[in-house]
Amino acid sequence: MTLRSVFARFGLIIIIVMFFSFFSYVSPVFLTFDNQVNIIEASAIVLILALGMTLVVAMGGIDLSIGIAFDFGAAFAVVALKDFGAAWYVACLIGVMGGALVGLLNAILIVGLKISPFMATLGTFFVGSSVERVFTNGGGPISYRRMPQEYRDLAVGDVFGIPTEVIIAAAVCLVYFVVLERSIFGKRIHAIGLQKDAANVAGIPVRRYMFVAFILASATCAIGGLIGSANIRMFTPLAGFSYLLDAIAAVFIGAAIHPKGRPNVIGTLVGVLFLGMIGNGLNLMGLDFNLKAALSGIILVSALALAVAQQRFR
Amino acid sequence: MTDTLLKMCDITKSFPGVLALDAVDLEVERGEIHGLVGENGAGKSTIIKVLAGVYKADGGSVDIDGETLADVTPRSVHDAGVRFIHQELHLVQHFTVTESVFMGQEEQTLLGLSARAMRAKAEAFFETALGTQLSGKTLIRDLGIAERKLVQIARALIDAKAKLVVFDEPTAPLTSGETDKLFAAIRKLKEQGIAMIYVSHYLAEITDICDRVTVLRNGQNAGRFDDVFDNSAPAMISAMVGREIDELFPTTEHSAAAPRLEIQSLCADAFNDVSLTVHRHEIVGIAGLVGSGREDLIDTIYGLKAPSSGTLKIDGIAQRFRAPSEAVAAGIALVPRDRRHDGLVLDMSVSDNVNLAALDSVSRWTLENRRASHAVATEMSETLDIRPRNIAATARLLSGGNQQKVVLGRWLNKGADIFILDEPTVGVDVGAKVEIYQHIENLAKDGVSVLVSSSDPGELIGLCDRILVMLRGKIVAEVSTTDLGVDTLVALTTGGAVQEVAV
Ligand SMILES: Nc1ncnc2c1ncn2[C@@H]1O[C@H](COP(=O)(O)OP(=O)(O)OP(=O)(O)O)[C@@H](O)[C@H]1O
Ligand SMILES: [Mg+2]
Repeated sequence: MTLRSVFARFGLIIIIVMFFSFFSYVSPVFLTFDNQVNIIEASAIVLILALGMTLVVAMGGIDLSIGIAFDFGAAFAVVALKDFGAAWYVACLIGVMGGALVGLLNAILIVGLKISPFMATLGTFFVGSSVERVFTNGGGPISYRRMPQEYRDLAVGDVFGIPTEVIIAAAVCLVYFVVLERSIFGKRIHAIGLQKDAANVAGIPVRRYMFVAFILASATCAIGGLIGSANIRMFTPLAGFSYLLDAIAAVFIGAAIHPKGRPNVIGTLVGVLFLGMIGNGLNLMGLDFNLKAALSGIILVSALALAVAQQRFR
Repeated sequence: MTDTLLKMCDITKSFPGVLALDAVDLEVERGEIHGLVGENGAGKSTIIKVLAGVYKADGGSVDIDGETLADVTPRSVHDAGVRFIHQELHLVQHFTVTESVFMGQEEQTLLGLSARAMRAKAEAFFETALGTQLSGKTLIRDLGIAERKLVQIARALIDAKAKLVVFDEPTAPLTSGETDKLFAAIRKLKEQGIAMIYVSHYLAEITDICDRVTVLRNGQNAGRFDDVFDNSAPAMISAMVGREIDELFPTTEHSAAAPRLEIQSLCADAFNDVSLTVHRHEIVGIAGLVGSGREDLIDTIYGLKAPSSGTLKIDGIAQRFRAPSEAVAAGIALVPRDRRHDGLVLDMSVSDNVNLAALDSVSRWTLENRRASHAVATEMSETLDIRPRNIAATARLLSGGNQQKVVLGRWLNKGADIFILDEPTVGVDVGAKVEIYQHIENLAKDGVSVLVSSSDPGELIGLCDRILVMLRGKIVAEVSTTDLGVDTLVALTTGGAVQEVAV
């Protein structure tokens, strides 16, 4: 094996291990059980959004509007609870449907009007942002302090000591694994992502699959929005945007560690945990806030660049 | 005495799990045309790529002009005077002929690029070296495929340092008229003392132009013919496949049955007022030059393109396909002409590719049942003799002919009432051809309607019950294949003898 092929296959994994050892070395707290649980808990929402992104990227697309789907999920649910007194599970359902609406717009633009996923979801992102601002009279949060405890528990509750949000994220992850890696739906999605024309000639209804996939992805991201709004008991406009880069990075890191370089569910999980570990580790080092933000930005972009480079070295 | 130009000795090359070349020798004499033949996956492209420096051999030596190359790299081989004409045409559509010929090797004067000198040189080269006339100002996109091939050749040879030119299946995309043009150029090169290696599955071409022939089988030398006669083909075939092949085409008569596919006055950009009917148990051929509208007709029937008017009926029911998935649902299957682009998902395994159209039948509650899908793929690779016999192999790494078998296997597995085969045997070796023809024949016997579009007249005549000839977007003749000669068919496709032959 040449150095080059070792890098192509294991580059990112080596770097992940290096960071892990580094943090364990510099911070006595890093390796403790409680801190590891912290990392996992902090990664739950990112994981959910990154999974939606994995579906879209595996199909050969990209979704820049996952933050909007996150916001819509939160907004629809909070409004349903506050203004319509909906039961918590009804509010969850409405939130997910709100997110699906975002996906529907993407699907219409991409499948119906044949706009590239990049441009279409960027458009959805701008339109969605404006809608959020107009709806909140310029961007003020909609808070609802007296939300039902069950809803609140989505973020702060636990089942047998395991935080609910971790359970939800794990469940979504499991479903995605089965759907994307084990079902014939997933096989077809991968075929479309690898070679759309060949998938089309093989009789796969490519347009229908793309339509469904964009809606599914957005609906998934809305689940993240539910947890987010339950956590802070309000809907904050444009809050979802902050997850975009992490989600994209996690998907590409995940693809880079896959033997065939494909976006995949397990890889995304590893990518999300890696990013969570970086954030946590930098925190523990007690760096200045701005320095920390800059550092994590640099690490994230480098990881992304490395993931892409690693693909090229194959 | 012999005068050896290229001597490849004991070349060995293995890929993970495959011994592609096992101590293969290849010797080419100065000024000869040396044929290289063998079954799909025999190792022809691999030895060419070893010579080109694309793959590094595990063992063996390469001598050019009596000197052993210490390191076989694209660079060193080029410097030694070896040129490659790849199967794909890497030409830029909107470049002129001159620009294409000199791309990357422009001639500079003190005043910059000397456009006029280059053009004159290019035109002179076409005239004297290739025996054809071509204006240096023509745009590539206005040229036919044969002329583009000539441009590709000129590009490789213009520096006049070439001693050996390697052609890997150069005629696969050409019609017979175009092939003649290419052969004229090849003979002209030979007169100038340039040696050539010629890889092809068309043995008629091999016996036509080659002086000597090396046969490969399973990555080993399987014989060399130092004298090639017009009737050497059977002996070569048996060396290639290790057995005799007496009948290329199965001979069965199909009794006429009820019509299945009926097309009436179908129109689109590239063709006009096309009507045709394919019955059950029937194999119908479509002949025509590239650009005759044949390709678009196939795409339109399969729902890849929309017709502007006309009707398409299956079993008497009018259909309108907006996408191939609807055509598939109505019982149509297409083996497309461009297998690498439209046929295979190259980065998926053989197993996934075979199962892609019929995933429902290997799933339980929408989850893939891997045992079932692997069983299907294993069975298909046995039936079609797909090599290597490894269903987990990535489709991209299979040799051309084996890739074609994978696409065919997908549809044999899925099953369909109407099979459309577009250039079904391009790049497929004789042995595999016979098998593919037999499978097509079996389909017809089972009641399937088959439509074959091909640029190989012999194939159409041997395989089909009747042939529709397309010329400039119209069906200009319909001929029965009984007693039809290749010459007649070629004349019809080129418009040389437009005559309605009643069936
Ligand atoms: N890069 C590769 N990795 C793995 N296996 C390969 C690779 N390239 C070729 N092979 C295998 O090596 C063998 C020889 O392939 P090769 O392409 O030389 O055949 P060929 O004689 O050119 O066949 P064809 O007539 O179908 O083009 C095949 O079994 C093929 O699958
Ligand atoms: Mg080959």
